[in-house]
Amino acid sequence: MPQAKKRSSLGLVLQPMKRTGKTVANSLILGKPNTVLYPYQKLELPIGYRGKHIVDFKRCIGCSNCVQICPNDCMWMEKLEDPELGKIERPGVDYGRCLFCGLCVEICPTVAIHESVEFELAHHERSKLKYGPKELRDDSFAGKVKEERQKRLLPILDMTKCTSCEKCAGECPEMAIAMMPIEGVGKTKPEINLGKCTSCKKCETVCPESALEMEEVYESYFEMPEPKFLIKKCTGCGACARACPADVIYMMDLPGTEKVLKDGKKGKPKKRAVFVLEKCVGCGKCYRACKFDALEWPGVRK
Amino acid sequence: MNLFEFCYGIIHWLVDLINHLWYWLGDVLPWWFGDFFDAVGNFAASQGHMAVMTIFLEVVIVVVIALINVLNFIWIFRKFMGRMFDFYGPYYVGYRIGGWLQNLADGIKLFVKEIIVPAKADKMGYLLAPIIYIGSSILILATIPFSENFGVATNESGSYVPAGALFALAAFAIAPFSILLAGWASNNKYTLIGGMRSAAQMMSYEIPLLMTVASVFLLAGSYGFVDIVDAQHDIWFAFPLFIGFLIFLVCLAAEVEIIPFDLPEAEAELVEGWTTEYGGMRFGLFYFTTTIRSYAGGALATALFLGGWHGPALIPDEIWFLIKAYIVYTIFQWMTWSLPRVRVDQMLGIGWKRLLPLAVINLMIAVALKSMGWF
Amino acid sequence: MAEMWINMGPQHPMTHGLWNLRVKVDGETIVDAQPEVGYLHRGIEKLCEGKTYPQIIPLADRLCYGSSLTWSHLYCMAVEDLMNVEVPERAEYIRVLTIEMQRIVSHLMWLAAYAGDLGLGVGFVYTMREREVFLDLFQALTGARITYNFPRIGGVAHDLPPNFERDTLRAISYFEGRLKEYEDLFEGSKIFMMRNVGVGILKKEDAINMGVTGPTLRASGVSYDLRKDRPYSVYEEMNFNVVTHKDCDCYARYRVRMDEMWESCQIMKQALKKMPKGKVRIVSPRNAPVGTGLARVEDPRGEGMMYIVGDGTDKPYRVKIRSPIFVTVSAAPKILIGYKVADVVAIMGGLDMCIGETDR
Repeated sequence: MPQAKKRSSLGLVLQPMKRTGKTVANSLILGKPNTVLYPYQKLELPIGYRGKHIVDFKRCIGCSNCVQICPNDCMWMEKLEDPELGKIERPGVDYGRCLFCGLCVEICPTVAIHESVEFELAHHERSKLKYGPKELRDDSFAGKVKEERQKRLLPILDMTKCTSCEKCAGECPEMAIAMMPIEGVGKTKPEINLGKCTSCKKCETVCPESALEMEEVYESYFEMPEPKFLIKKCTGCGACARACPADVIYMMDLPGTEKVLKDGKKGKPKKRAVFVLEKCVGCGKCYRACKFDALEWPGVRK
Repeated sequence: MNLFEFCYGIIHWLVDLINHLWYWLGDVLPWWFGDFFDAVGNFAASQGHMAVMTIFLEVVIVVVIALINVLNFIWIFRKFMGRMFDFYGPYYVGYRIGGWLQNLADGIKLFVKEIIVPAKADKMGYLLAPIIYIGSSILILATIPFSENFGVATNESGSYVPAGALFALAAFAIAPFSILLAGWASNNKYTLIGGMRSAAQMMSYEIPLLMTVASVFLLAGSYGFVDIVDAQHDIWFAFPLFIGFLIFLVCLAAEVEIIPFDLPEAEAELVEGWTTEYGGMRFGLFYFTTTIRSYAGGALATALFLGGWHGPALIPDEIWFLIKAYIVYTIFQWMTWSLPRVRVDQMLGIGWKRLLPLAVINLMIAVALKSMGWF
Repeated sequence: MAEMWINMGPQHPMTHGLWNLRVKVDGETIVDAQPEVGYLHRGIEKLCEGKTYPQIIPLADRLCYGSSLTWSHLYCMAVEDLMNVEVPERAEYIRVLTIEMQRIVSHLMWLAAYAGDLGLGVGFVYTMREREVFLDLFQALTGARITYNFPRIGGVAHDLPPNFERDTLRAISYFEGRLKEYEDLFEGSKIFMMRNVGVGILKKEDAINMGVTGPTLRASGVSYDLRKDRPYSVYEEMNFNVVTHKDCDCYARYRVRMDEMWESCQIMKQALKKMPKGKVRIVSPRNAPVGTGLARVEDPRGEGMMYIVGDGTDKPYRVKIRSPIFVTVSAAPKILIGYKVADVVAIMGGLDMCIGETDR
C-alpha cells in the first residue's frame, strides 16, 4: 500500500509541477494527447455494445414478449403486410424513451431482436425518434452480433399429425414422454419433459406420421408463465388458436356433441382447445383473446 | 531611430499632405473663409499640435501591440493548459495556425450576448467599475518601454518621465478599488465576498512587492526604466537578488489573481466571484484585462529583474523583451495548473508572515551590495 | 460585519447534484448550517410497485448513477433473499469482481470532483482519464458505460467476454502505477495538505451517534466494514484489510479512499484467480412468495440496504431503500460550524455526496 510521507516545503510548488511537466513532455514529444477528435476520428466499440435495435423479420414470431418486458413502455407492435411473410406483427421502438437496457433481447424466444453498435440516433424532432419495424429490419444479422444464448435440439410436436399411437413414449430412453388423455376428445397426446431430453432423436425417427420434429430452441432464463385451461368454460370459438403466435393451441373435435338439425342431418361437432405447452413462450395473447374466462393467467394482481 | 522621431515623421508627412489641400481650398474660396482656413492650417503645422498628435499615434501603436500580444497570450494559455490536461487546446478554428483564431471567435461570441444590468444594482458603481479597471490597467503600459528606442514615455524622447517604474507600479495598484466597487455594486452576496477577499489579497501583497522593487531601485540608482535596464548590463538583478525575484513572482501572481491565489474568483465556491453579474462584452473586457495585467506584470518582471532587452545581437531588442515576458508568463501558467487554491486566512498568513520578513532580508542584501560598491 | 444567510445551491458549481446548503456566515466564518434535500425526488420506491421484478433492475441502477452496479446488485440480493434462490458460484465471483471495479470507478469520480473543487483542474482530468480505462472494461463486459443492467435475479446476465482476464490484469497494473504518481499531485503539494489537514473534524462518538457509515466513519477511527463484519457473497474467501485512519479530518477521508482503491485492486486480482468454471445464471422465478427480503451491502459511500415485501404476484408490494448519504448529510451542521466558507467545499466534497440515492 503506498504510504503517506511528510513533504518538505519544496512541495509547495515544485513537486506537482514535476508531474504536470511530465504530462506536457509526454504529449508534445513522445506521442499524442489522450483525445479522440470525435467527428473526424471514431472510437471502435466492442461487439456487445447496446445501441440501436435490429429485428430479423423471419425469426420473429410476433409474440410481443419484448413489448411487455420493456421497463419504460417504449415498444409497440405494428401490423404490417409483407410480400413474402403475409400479414405479420412486428415491434417498433421509440428511442425518445428507450433505456438501451437489453431486456427485450434477453427475453425473445427466437433471438429475433438484437442491439447493434450504432448509437448516433439524435434528431431535431421528437417524432422522428420513433423507429417503426421497417426501419429496424435486418434479416441477416447472424454474423454481426454476439450470440450468447445456448441452443438445444428439442422435439416439437405438431398435434394435427399425431394419431396417439404411443410409439414415442415407448422409444424414449429417458422416459421423458408420457401419454396424457385429452378430456372429451378420446385421444391421448404426448407430453414431453424437456428437462430430461438428451436430443437423441429416437422419437423423431420412430414416429410414423412425422409429428415430432427436432428443432433448435434457445434457452430462456426468465420463468415464463403458462396458461391454465378450464374446459368447462370453453365454447370452442377458436379465438385463442388464432391469437397464438407459436402454434401452441389446436382446436380438436369433441365427438358426440353434434347437434341434430331440423332435417335430421347431423351438424358439426363442438370443439375444444388443446394446448401443447412445451412450445409456449408465455406471451399471454390467448389469455387476452378468450372472452369466456376459460384461461387463467398465474400471478396477476387483480 | 526613436519611436517618437518615427511617429513625428509620419505625422509631419500627414500634416503636410492635408495642409496642401487645405491651403489650396483656402485660396479658392472667398476672403472670409480664406483667413479661417489659413489660421487652422497654421495651427495644425505648429510644434505643439504635432507633438500631441505624435503622442496619440504612439499610444495607438503601443496599445495595438499590447492587444496582439494579449491575443497571443490567451492562445498560449489555452494550448499549454490543454497539453497539461492531456488534450489539444483550440484546434479547429484556424486549423492551419494551431487554433489561433479561436480568440477572435470567442470575442465575437461575447459581443453578441445580451448585456443586462441587475435591477437593484447600484448603477453608478456597476457601470463605472469596468471603466476604472481597464483604464488603469492599460495605463501601466504607458511607461514600460520595449527597448531604448521604443516606448511612449521614456527617458530619451521628447517627454521625459524620470519616475517610469514608480508610475507603472502606482497604476498597477488602482485596480483593487474597482474590484471592490464591482463587488459591492452588483447587489449579490457572492460578489460581496469576492470583492472583500480581493481587496484583502491585493492590499496584503502590495507591500512585499513594493519592498522588493525598492531594493531594485536601490541597486540601480534611479526610478526610470532605461536606467534600471542599463544598470543590468553586467549581470541581471535576478541573480544577486534571487530571493527578491521569487518574492516578486509570488506577489505578482497574487496581484493578477491566478490560481493559487484566485480566491476572489473561486469558481467552486462563489460561482464567478466578483464578475458574477456581468455579462456579454463587459465580462469579456474583465477577462481581457486580467490578461493585460499579467502581460504588464511579465513586462515589469523582465525589465526589473531579467535584464530587459539585453541579449545577443542576432534578434532585435524588442523581440528579446517579448521573449522574456513570454517565458515569465509560461512559468506562471505552469504554476497555475499544478496547484490548488489557498484559503483566505492561509493566503493572508503567507503574505504577512512569510513574504514580508523575506522582503526585509532582501532589502538588507541590496543595501549590503550597494555599500560594498559592486553596483 | 452582520451575519447573513447564504444559499449554496441548488444551482451551484460546487454541489455535486441538486441540493441546497444554507450557511449562516459571519464575515468568512460559518456560524450555522442547514442542508435541504429533495430537489431530485423521482419517486423510485413508488415506481417499483408497478413493475415486475426483472424490470426494476435498470431502475435500481439509476438510484446512484455514480456507483450504479452496487445498487442493482443490492436489489438482486434482496429479491434472492425473498424468493430463496441460490446463485451459482461463478456468478458470485463475477459479481465481486465487478463490484470492486465499480468501487474504484466511484472513488475516482469522487477524487475528480474533489480536486476540481479545490482548484486543481489537472486532478480532475487525470483521474477521469484513469476512470476511462475501467469504463472501457465495463463496456466490453456489459455493453454500457454507466448504468450497466448487469446483475440478474439468480446470477449475472452473461459470462465474461474472451480476453477479459488479460485486459483486467493489464488495467490493474497500469492503475496501480498511476496511484503512486498521484502522490506528487496531491500529497506532494503543500497547499493541498494545508487545505485538508485539520479541517472538518468529526469525532468518533459523534460519527457513531449520527449513524454515519462508510469511509467517513472509517476515517474517524472506527473499524466497521460490512464486507468483513457481515460478509455477503464470497467476501469470506477474499484476503484484504479494512482501512482506517486516526485523524478525523478531510485528509483522513482522502487517505482512506485512496487506500480503499488499492485494496480493491488486490481483491480483483484474487477474484480472477479463484474463479471456478460453471454456469453464471439460473432461471429466475416469476412470482414471489408472500414474505419479505432484506439485503445490506457496503456501497462506496456507506451502508446501503433494501427491504422488499412480496405478495405472491409478479410485482413487489413495497420496496424500501436506505441510502447512506441521506444520513451523512444530516451530520453536516456538526462538521461545518467554526470553519470558513472556503472549507465548505473541502468538507462536503470529502463526504462524497451523490444526490441520486439521497432523494430516490
